[in-house]
Amino acid sequence: MVKEECKALLDALNKVTACYRHMVLTIGGTSDSQNLREELKKTRQKAQELAVANRNKLTAVLKDKTVSKEDKAEFERLWVIFSTCLEILEIDMRRALELGHEFPLNVPKKHLIQTGMSGGTSGVAARAMSVQNMKYEAEHNIDVVDLKDLENEINQVGEMMYEMEMKVNVPQWTVEAKQDPGAELKSTISVGASSIGMISVEENKSFCDISKVLAGIIFSAVLIIAIVLAVCVVKLS
Amino acid sequence: HRPRALQIEALMMEMQNPDKGIKTQTQTVMVTDIPHAVTGNDILQWILQRLQVTQEEALHLGDLFVKYGYIYPLQEPKNLTLKPDGSLYRFQTPYFWPVQGWPADDTDYAIYLAKKNIKRKGILEEYEKEHYNMLNQKINYKWDFVIMQAKEQYKAGKERKKADRYALDCQERAYWLVNRTPPGMLDVLEYGVDRVTDPNENKKKTMEVYRREIMYYQQSIMKSRVKSSVSLGGLVKYSEQFLSSDPILSGCLPSNPWITDDPDFWDFNAKLVEIPTRMRVERWAFNFSELIRDPKGRQNFQLFLKKEFSGENLSFWEACEDLKYGDQSKVKEKAEEIYKLFLAPGARRWINIDGTTMGITVKGLKHPHRYVLDAAQTHIYMLMKKDSYGRYLKSPIYKEMLAKAIVPQETVKKSGLFGRRHLRSSPSPIILRQQEEEAKAKEAATTVDITQPCLPASQAPCPAVHAGTAPPALPHSTACPSPISVALDSTVGTEQEPEGISPGPLPSSSRRSPVATLSFGRFLKRGCWTSPVLGALSPKCPAVPHGKVQPLGEQQQLRPHTKVVSSFFQIKTDAPLESKTCPVGSEEGEHNHRRALKVICPWENPMEEGKAG
Repeated sequence: MVKEECKALLDALNKVTACYRHMVLTIGGTSDSQNLREELKKTRQKAQELAVANRNKLTAVLKDKTVSKEDKAEFERLWVIFSTCLEILEIDMRRALELGHEFPLNVPKKHLIQTGMSGGTSGVAARAMSVQNMKYEAEHNIDVVDLKDLENEINQVGEMMYEMEMKVNVPQWTVEAKQDPGAELKSTISVGASSIGMISVEENKSFCDISKVLAGIIFSAVLIIAIVLAVCVVKLS
Repeated sequence: HRPRALQIEALMMEMQNPDKGIKTQTQTVMVTDIPHAVTGNDILQWILQRLQVTQEEALHLGDLFVKYGYIYPLQEPKNLTLKPDGSLYRFQTPYFWPVQGWPADDTDYAIYLAKKNIKRKGILEEYEKEHYNMLNQKINYKWDFVIMQAKEQYKAGKERKKADRYALDCQERAYWLVNRTPPGMLDVLEYGVDRVTDPNENKKKTMEVYRREIMYYQQSIMKSRVKSSVSLGGLVKYSEQFLSSDPILSGCLPSNPWITDDPDFWDFNAKLVEIPTRMRVERWAFNFSELIRDPKGRQNFQLFLKKEFSGENLSFWEACEDLKYGDQSKVKEKAEEIYKLFLAPGARRWINIDGTTMGITVKGLKHPHRYVLDAAQTHIYMLMKKDSYGRYLKSPIYKEMLAKAIVPQETVKKSGLFGRRHLRSSPSPIILRQQEEEAKAKEAATTVDITQPCLPASQAPCPAVHAGTAPPALPHSTACPSPISVALDSTVGTEQEPEGISPGPLPSSSRRSPVATLSFGRFLKRGCWTSPVLGALSPKCPAVPHGKVQPLGEQQQLRPHTKVVSSFFQIKTDAPLESKTCPVGSEEGEHNHRRALKVICPWENPMEEGKAG
């Protein structure tokens, strides 16, 4: 029961971190906007809540002496996943801070980099916040105002990570991954829809297929002719 | 940390200016239109116009932009060059700019590869597959997270519009092409050694910082310096002297094996060849380090020393070298063996070193390490150099070797008309080493008998060395033999004269001239890299003009200082100073004399006392 709860929390944190990464990628580009900054703020706050929840749950379990050995190993594995996730989150937050400083939105002289992005990130944000639609209620200078909060939050996360390291003694390298290499291929959903097909210009696979098909056709045609001839010969003789 | 490319980032932002920046176009990929593509030519023109540089420079600069990943090519993603034509490029998102402090992380790369795996259904390039496997092993404990995050990032990506997804893919690919270069591509971010301190950090100038700076500059001032005219003069003299023996500048006889495939040159110059070449033997006369560096030279010198009954000096020196450069595990036993053989009272091949050095060595041997015998080794080296070397060069043994030495004939280049000659390789180092070992063993076996008769004679000074009691009254003077006077500084020289010591003839055997060690001490005192003890010897000079051994008790206060600093002892460094070509020595000595105490080296303290003497 506890395990499932922990896993669910961890999955949630993982999801939010992934969405946050997507959004941080967009800062400074043409998709950057006040909305994006608000989304960033909300997402990272959610991430922090989840992180705290995860931490509390996992530390409680790890401190519990009545847990069996296999369970303990499993929780340690979850702990390692959690701490790695938190590391990535902290890095992204720091980058967001740096990029936020570099690309203030209301300064007319500073132009956003034309990265080829034109759409928004509201879908990603909605996914992160687990809502249907995002509501934007922030002020028009959130890009500057938010940076102070961001700094504080980064410090908080840093402290949390430090505490975690000090209090919980789980050597990372002792954890073995459950997933084998290539496990990501097993549960993929409708891969085809994502690629436009142009990306696979590098792939020559399609051409190989065509040539293989052609070869097959020719071979079977020759075979059929040979059979027909043989039958004729038999019939005539 | 690496230097930050702030200027490029500013330029990047200027390029985006709708009025003064670069004009963008739309890239059409199948049915989708992706905006913000620029042509290579446009980029080039913009740089030319904005920075007012030459065409070549602008092209190079633009090329660097692409190489570092600020701009990426759309049509040939792997070709990170700027083509000044219509080929399309796009600007990279700031998150993926190569920024100091954010090196590309392995975990991120693993996530990227996993994502690519999902997208391409397992089709990765060869080098990517290798990286994937390697990372799987390297960060295995994070692997579950990598998979989870890759899946989530992939799913999150689907929430964006198709064109954006495509652009994102291109961006990511470009980023990883720059940061994890495929084999065969130039890795631009290879920047060498990482610096520990951040060069862009704004260090607050606190008291501590200033204090450190002051200390640093003070120490720099006190570094001994040589006038460039002097050092250049030394360099010129060295070059002139060695020009004829340089195989590249003056050719080598019989011929260069790399050109003519004739290994005779190596055979003639083998380490312990029977009859060495004339050039080689002549080099032994240049200076002592040349002689001692050459194994054949050492062998010949050893013959000479045996005649003079001081063969154990060279053997001791060689044993010390073996200790210094041999196995760490054998250090302790080797040191003990050497002590038993050469240094202990009543040892079979006892070497003649002064009491203080002996004291240091014995003390150091309690905790033996590689350089524990450095003081004694330097002493013996100096002994051989000042004393025996001069005589060796005049001895019949050397002259005989010189006469015997061959001058190989220059080989006639055979025209390789009928196919190539069979290529032979140089002798295997393993075989060479075996031969050396055998030769050494043979030598060791034969040297046993010769030193025995000498033992009784050496017994007399032995107790004196260790007891430090009344030094034997030796008739020899402290005056240094004249060849060395060139290198001696005048201050030392004047110190000696008032003592009224007649410059007597050089002692016949270096064993019996422990007194000479005093003069060596004076001589050595100049350098920072010498034993403090030897320097301390000189103050006692006037007191005991012919005593070689200072009562050890008087040296007590110096002992604590003379701890294991011997790692700075470098025998080879003597050579440039002492070679007759370099009058540097005297100047240096004066420097050190005047400023002895200020320098940090702890072993220079005794020098002040030396001056007083």
